[in-house]
Amino acid sequence: MKLLKKDLKEALRLISDDFELLLPGEGSGVSRFALWDGGDIDLSYGNTQLPPKDILFPHTEKMYSFKCATDVEVTEEAEAKSRIVFGIRPCDMRAIECMDKVFLEKGFTDSFYSRKREHTLFIAMGCTNPCRTCFCDSMGLTPGDAPAADILLVESDDSFEVKAQTQRGKEIAECFGRLLTDGKVQVSKVSCALKTKMSDDLPEKLSGMFEHPIWDEVGRACIGCATCTYVCPTCYCFDISLDNHGSEGVSFRCWDSCMFSDYTRMAGGHNPRPTKKERVRNRYMHKLSYFNERYGSALCVGCGRCVEKCPANLDITEFIDKVAEVRL
Amino acid sequence: MNDIETKLRETVKRLLADHTVRYVIGWEATRFEDKTRPAFISDSADTDRLVWNKYCVSSLAKYALDEQHSEGKIGICVRGCDSRAVCRLIEDKQLLRENLYLIGLPCDDKEMNICDTCTHRNPVIYDELVGEPVLERQADRFAMVGLMEAMSADERYSFWESNYSKCIRCYACRNICPACNCRACYADQERVGWQGKQMNTAQNQIYGLTRTYHVGDRCIECGECERVCPMMIPVMLQTRKMLKDINEMFGDYECGLPDGRAPVLGEYTLGDADDFM
Repeated sequence: MKLLKKDLKEALRLISDDFELLLPGEGSGVSRFALWDGGDIDLSYGNTQLPPKDILFPHTEKMYSFKCATDVEVTEEAEAKSRIVFGIRPCDMRAIECMDKVFLEKGFTDSFYSRKREHTLFIAMGCTNPCRTCFCDSMGLTPGDAPAADILLVESDDSFEVKAQTQRGKEIAECFGRLLTDGKVQVSKVSCALKTKMSDDLPEKLSGMFEHPIWDEVGRACIGCATCTYVCPTCYCFDISLDNHGSEGVSFRCWDSCMFSDYTRMAGGHNPRPTKKERVRNRYMHKLSYFNERYGSALCVGCGRCVEKCPANLDITEFIDKVAEVRL
Repeated sequence: MNDIETKLRETVKRLLADHTVRYVIGWEATRFEDKTRPAFISDSADTDRLVWNKYCVSSLAKYALDEQHSEGKIGICVRGCDSRAVCRLIEDKQLLRENLYLIGLPCDDKEMNICDTCTHRNPVIYDELVGEPVLERQADRFAMVGLMEAMSADERYSFWESNYSKCIRCYACRNICPACNCRACYADQERVGWQGKQMNTAQNQIYGLTRTYHVGDRCIECGECERVCPMMIPVMLQTRKMLKDINEMFGDYECGLPDGRAPVLGEYTLGDADDFM
């Protein structure tokens, strides 16, 4: 089925009564997914500066509030709005798959995440014009395909082919009704600008390189900030803390970063990752090896945000190439 | 390759060969023409990795803190701002001058807005200079502050509120800053009632203000805080405002110069301005 680009706004209006719509947009110079205000839709964003992970895993999230008088009263936060994320890119969709594994699998369900996940649908848009730092096709993705999305849009000059990929996706596509016409869109194969020598055996190779001298050099330029982890669509670490006001307060969780020195600091002051060497090693190992061991895929989806935003211009693709050259 | 780059590589090769330095901190190329990365050269065979071009923008001095207490000299390529960062760190008792070998690089070609207001394009201290000194330019360091001061209090509040609503608390501005050299930062103290870890505009603003006050009278105006901010918050505008006020109250004042002047808020004289009391 096809949807003409000029009818897109109308199509979104048809579903905006039942769903909150989150679209890529720009505010104060930062592009991110934000609530659609019904205005014009700009689809020229490549990858938004901030990834859409905060839709399911907010930077800061209330867990419960409490009041202590003679009794202790605890109120759990439970909000679940029906939402559609429109225009998510294949890399970010793959990142949601990674987060699903972490928060929903292995015998434990994170209720804060799952509540949002159940009520969120994804309309992905295949990439036709990758950014200069995009390397998802080296990480096993296809820039034009997002298999986990409820609907995939394939873009041509004047229209989208609408491919419903799940039951919920079909129901949404039906809402577009008369706006859809028969037909397909022909697209040429899209290739990423940046290439890296990622291979199937690299995760295992890396797991044998924990003590390799490569780590002495690779993170030296790192300044130990959290930019890479906070613009990363898959980094999912969080901390839990309290906001107390007298006898009442709120417990919240918020993003945390393995690049911070206090991330691994223990009671008594011992830090098993005392310098940036150990921290950068952990980040790269987690992205390229540890996650594979546990879940069978890489935790790097090749979106290139860390490559674009690192203050010191560290580049994970250069690291992958270096590892590929290492002879053990 | 340009002449300065060739000379720089030769200089570093010599310094490594005659064991003047253990290694040299400079810049190297990346996959992208408009990005360079701090490089650490300890083998004279690697000196060709060093580059010198308009994209050599990362501040280098603070990397010397990684080996603060080791034996032997560290070589650092210093532009004006890097040399002032070195002064900052020496004055703050973080580095010893005798443990450093400074390779000066006059700098006049960077394509960054922040560099337009640079008043020290030549290194203020160095052991040897690569290339000829460039002409210093008169620049109005506080031009942007004027724009901020022209706002009403409410406008100013909403300007910063909107900027800090974007902050993701990555602490890149802190980590890159040569004046932020505390062994333990207040923002990393996990204590209820201190800097909260939650990301919201109020906590972000508390962080932004505290950072400014902590470095305000020791800011060397390199602009790295603003360059590294992934959310493009005009971070240095805050320290610049503080420096402007300091200049008005305490006379001409620039930090990170080898003039022996103590940070203005760290000293006291009977003649200090006290109009606010």
